[in-house]
Amino acid sequence: MNKAITLTIVLISLIICLHSCSKEGMSPEQIDFDQLPYEKLSEYGFFAGAMKDMQPAESVLAYRPNSELFSDYAEKKRFVWMPKGTSASIEAQENGRIVFPDKSILIKNFYYSKADGDKQRIIETRLLVKHNQEWQAYAYVWNEQQTEAQYEIVGASIPVDFTGPDMQQHSIDYIQPNKNQCKTCHNVDEQLRPIGPKVQHLNFDFKYANANIKNQLQMWTEMGYLSNYIPETKYDCMVDYRDDTQNLDLRARAYLDMNCAHCHSSVGSASSSGLLLNYNETNQTKIGLNKPPIAAGLGAGPHKFDILPGKADSSIFVYRMESTRPGVMMPELGRSTVHKEGVQLVRDWIDSLQAAEDS
Amino acid sequence: MKQAILKLPLLLFLISTIACNNSVEVDQDISANAKVAGAAAVKKVIESFILAEDGSTIKIPAGHFEFETQLIIDNLKDLKIIGAGMDKTFLSFKNLKSGGEGVKVVGKNITLQDFSVLDAPGDGIKTQHCDQIVFRRVNATWTNGDKSKNGTYALYPVQCKNVMIDECSASHSRDAGIYVGQSENVIVKNCTAFGNVAGIEIENCSNVEVFKNKVYDNAGGLLVFNLPNLPMADGFNTKVYDNEIIENNHVNFAVPINETPNGNTVTLIPPGSGVILLAAKNVEIYNNKILNNKTTGVAIANYQITGFPAEAPNWSPYSSDISIHNNEYARPLSPPDLTKDLGKLIAAKNAHGIGKSQDIIYDGFFDKSKGKDVKENPMNICIKEEKLDEMHFTLFDLHGGTDNIKASDDFKPFVCTGSVSTDLEAVKRL
Repeated sequence: MNKAITLTIVLISLIICLHSCSKEGMSPEQIDFDQLPYEKLSEYGFFAGAMKDMQPAESVLAYRPNSELFSDYAEKKRFVWMPKGTSASIEAQENGRIVFPDKSILIKNFYYSKADGDKQRIIETRLLVKHNQEWQAYAYVWNEQQTEAQYEIVGASIPVDFTGPDMQQHSIDYIQPNKNQCKTCHNVDEQLRPIGPKVQHLNFDFKYANANIKNQLQMWTEMGYLSNYIPETKYDCMVDYRDDTQNLDLRARAYLDMNCAHCHSSVGSASSSGLLLNYNETNQTKIGLNKPPIAAGLGAGPHKFDILPGKADSSIFVYRMESTRPGVMMPELGRSTVHKEGVQLVRDWIDSLQAAEDS
Repeated sequence: MKQAILKLPLLLFLISTIACNNSVEVDQDISANAKVAGAAAVKKVIESFILAEDGSTIKIPAGHFEFETQLIIDNLKDLKIIGAGMDKTFLSFKNLKSGGEGVKVVGKNITLQDFSVLDAPGDGIKTQHCDQIVFRRVNATWTNGDKSKNGTYALYPVQCKNVMIDECSASHSRDAGIYVGQSENVIVKNCTAFGNVAGIEIENCSNVEVFKNKVYDNAGGLLVFNLPNLPMADGFNTKVYDNEIIENNHVNFAVPINETPNGNTVTLIPPGSGVILLAAKNVEIYNNKILNNKTTGVAIANYQITGFPAEAPNWSPYSSDISIHNNEYARPLSPPDLTKDLGKLIAAKNAHGIGKSQDIIYDGFFDKSKGKDVKENPMNICIKEEKLDEMHFTLFDLHGGTDNIKASDDFKPFVCTGSVSTDLEAVKRL
C-alpha cells in the first residue's frame, strides 16, 4: 500500500515535472543551433525548476539595463547565455556596443506580476540568438497554465488585465509583434542587433541572487562572459530615468535613448527623419529642438516642432507619446497604453528647456 | 511665412465665397466586390512575408485581406511580391494595431506588382534602404471619409537607390501620394495621383525623371523639395516632362479645416498649385500640360517662405538652376486659394490684379553672396515659354517684410535656357 502511494507520488511528480520543468537533462550547452527555432521554450533548458519561476539554469545570467524600454507596463526578466569558453567583447567605448560570440542567446521574459487579480502572468519570451554570425529573433507565447511557451511568428493580440505601478487596473490588448517587426527596432544598418546589452546600460550595480550586489560588467567578466573590460576605465553610464535624484536632462535623455534611439539613430530605421535621440547626441536640431518634422503626417498634430523648448504642450514629442493611435503614437511598436510617468518626465524636461535658455 | 501675412479686401472674400467649389467627396470602397479572405488565408499571407527567402516570389491571390499586423520584407534579395491585379488583390490595414506603414520592404532587387494597399494608419507601402526597387501597377489609397485622418504617404520609397515607379496609382493621402525621399536614381512614370494633398513629391533626391504621369485633383500637383537636416542633405538633377498636371484644386486636408499649418511642409501648400519647387536644385520642367490649377501653375520657392529655420549643414534654402520651358498652361476662372498664406499672397499681391490666377510665380528670395539684385538672376532661374508676355508671371519681393511686399510682372531677367542631365539607363531596365 505504502509502496503504491510512493510510486503514485513519484509518477505524479514525474508527470508534473515533464510538463512544467525544463526537459530532463536539457541545458543550453546541448542546443543544436541548426535545428532552431525549437517549437517549445522548454527545449532550450534555460530555466532550473518550474519554468514559470524564471530561475536561470547554471551559466544563464540575469542582467538589466539601467533604463528600460516601456512595454505596456510589462515587467521583464532578462538573461544572457554564451557557450562555455566563449566571451563577448566591448566593440568600442564610443558606441558601447558589445560584440557577442557565435551561439550567444539573449532571453527576455515579459510578464505582469499582478495580472488577473494578483497572479503573476508571463506573456511571452523573446530570444535573440546569434548563429553563423547573424542574429535571429524568436518569440514564444506562454500558455494559460504557465507551463510552456510556444514558438510564434505571425504575432498575436493578447488581452491582459493587470494592476500597474500606479496601482490602477489596466485592461489592454498586449500586442506581440510578428517576427519581421522585431527588426523595426533591433536594427543597425539593416542587420538585426541587440539593443539592451550595451556598456552604458549595464555599467551599474545589479542585485544578483543571494543579495550579491555587483557591477554587471564586472560580473560578466567574472563569469567569463566579457573579455576586455578594464575596471579602471571610466565607461559611460546612462542613468535610470526613474531615479529622480538624477539630473532631469540626463533622465530625459536616458528615457529617449532607451525608448526611441533604437530607431532614431543614424543607423536605425528612423534615420530618414533626421531626428536622432541617442543619449550622447549633442546637436540640438537633431535632438528635435525647433525641428519641423519630415514625414510625421498625422503624428504632428497641430504642432510645428518636435520640441518647442519650454512648451511641452506644443511639442510633437508629447503629442505622439500621449497617443495610442497607430500612425500617431510613438514608439510605433510595443505599446498600446500611454506611459504616464515617461510622458511626465519628457514634459518636465521640455518645459525646463526654455528656463535653461532664459537663465 | 508669418501668420496672417495679409489683410485681404472684402472683395476677395466675396469672390471666394461665390466661386469656392466645395468638392463633394465620393467615398467608395474600391474593394467592395472582392471576396473577403478568411483568417487562414490572411495568416498565410503574413507567413509568406516572414518565411520569404532570397529569390522568393510571394503570390497573393485575388481577394480582400484584412491585416492586424504589418507585412514586412526583412532585407532580402531578388524578391517579387505579385498580386492578381490592382483591382483584384486588396491588402487592408484598417485594423492595424501597431506599426505605421502597412507594407514595409527592405532589400535588393525587389518587385512589387499588381496589388492595392488600403487604409494604412501611416504610410501605405514604405521601402527603405532598397537598391533596385520596382513598384509596378501598385495602388495605395484610403477609403475613409474623414480625409484629415488618412495616412501620410501612399507609396513611400526612402533612402533607396534605383527606384522605378511605373503605372501606379496613389490617392487620398493626407501628405504626398507618391513620395520619393532621400533617394538616388529614380523614375516615376505612367502613374496617376489624385485626391492627395500633394500628388507626387520628390524630396532630397538626385538623378530623377518624372514623366507621363497624370496628376489631378490634389491640393498641390507635383513637388520638388529639399528639406534641411536630413542624412541626404540636398538633392540635384530632376527632370519633369510630359506630365498632365491638371486641376489640382483640392482642399488641403493635411490639417483639419480651420487649423493653422503644423510643422509638415505640405500643410503650407495652397490648393490650386500645379508644380512647386522648394529649395530645389537643377530642375528642368518641360512639355507638361499645366492646366487649370487655380492658384499658380508653377511656384518657384525658397525655404525662407516656410518661416522655419533656413540654415543647415551641406544644404541651401535656395532654389537654383531651374529651367522651365515648352509647357502648356491654362488658367481657370476661379480665383487663387485663400486658405493658406502663400495662396493669400498670390491672390492679393500678384502683379496682374487681385484675385487673378498665376501661371508662374517666383518668391524672389536669393542668395546675396551670388548677386546684389534678383534681376541679375543670381539663382539661374530660366523660363522660356512661347507666349510668356501673355502669361501671368509674378516676381515677388518679400525681403521688406509683410508690410512691404512688392510684385513685378517683369519676366525678362529670367528668359534664358538651361537643361538638366540625368543618367537613368540602369533604372529604365528595371
